[in-house]
Amino acid sequence: MPGDLSRLLNALGLILVDAVLALAFVDQLWFRDLPCPLCILQRAGFIAAGFGLALNMIFGPRPSHYGMTILGAATGAAISIRQILLHIVPGSGSYGNDILGLHLYTWAFIAFALMIIGSALLLLDDRQFARTEPWSSNLNVLPLTAFMVFVVLAVGNVISTLLICGGSLCPDAPTGYLVP
Amino acid sequence: MMSLPFLLFACGLGAAWLRQRGAAMGFWVAGLVVLLVLFRVYMSDVLNIAL
Repeated sequence: MPGDLSRLLNALGLILVDAVLALAFVDQLWFRDLPCPLCILQRAGFIAAGFGLALNMIFGPRPSHYGMTILGAATGAAISIRQILLHIVPGSGSYGNDILGLHLYTWAFIAFALMIIGSALLLLDDRQFARTEPWSSNLNVLPLTAFMVFVVLAVGNVISTLLICGGSLCPDAPTGYLVP
Repeated sequence: MMSLPFLLFACGLGAAWLRQRGAAMGFWVAGLVVLLVLFRVYMSDVLNIAL
């Protein structure tokens, strides 16, 4: 797989991560479904996983970057499994709205698992790491857009979390913004 | 405190944009460690999964 194709696939992967984080904001702002603490940590897991994809686009594909994506996704998956287990017994309730019959934390686990599998598949091709010429310092439109949106969503989560939780830990079931 | 991982990841992305790969990875490691610590804090309740 040529390095340019690898960069394109990483950009597409980061766009999917952007879409997940953006949908979380839509759920929070449009449907007024404030994220619980574990939901916030899962968002951080998506950013930790997407970080490796972003580095692949800027510095070129490296195994260490894929490792970062896998570790970030594994952390996020562990958090989402914890939340699934909290509600797995019938009658133990759930948190937030469901989409197509599954709650957001279940979708998050599926997305994290797909990221781990996708990164492992991309790691199988060694040719992307054998590039001899230096990487262009200029990103194309698609990777640049994916990266910029990713940065905006990361900063947006800093602000959102500060508004919901203030400077300390979050309430278990937030009912409003601490900072109006 | 809950916003700290996001802040560290955002700083790491800024470092990546400035082509500082080592700093970017350092911020990522710090963010992941904070994320794991916060997960541990919220994982203190015993799961009630007895049928």
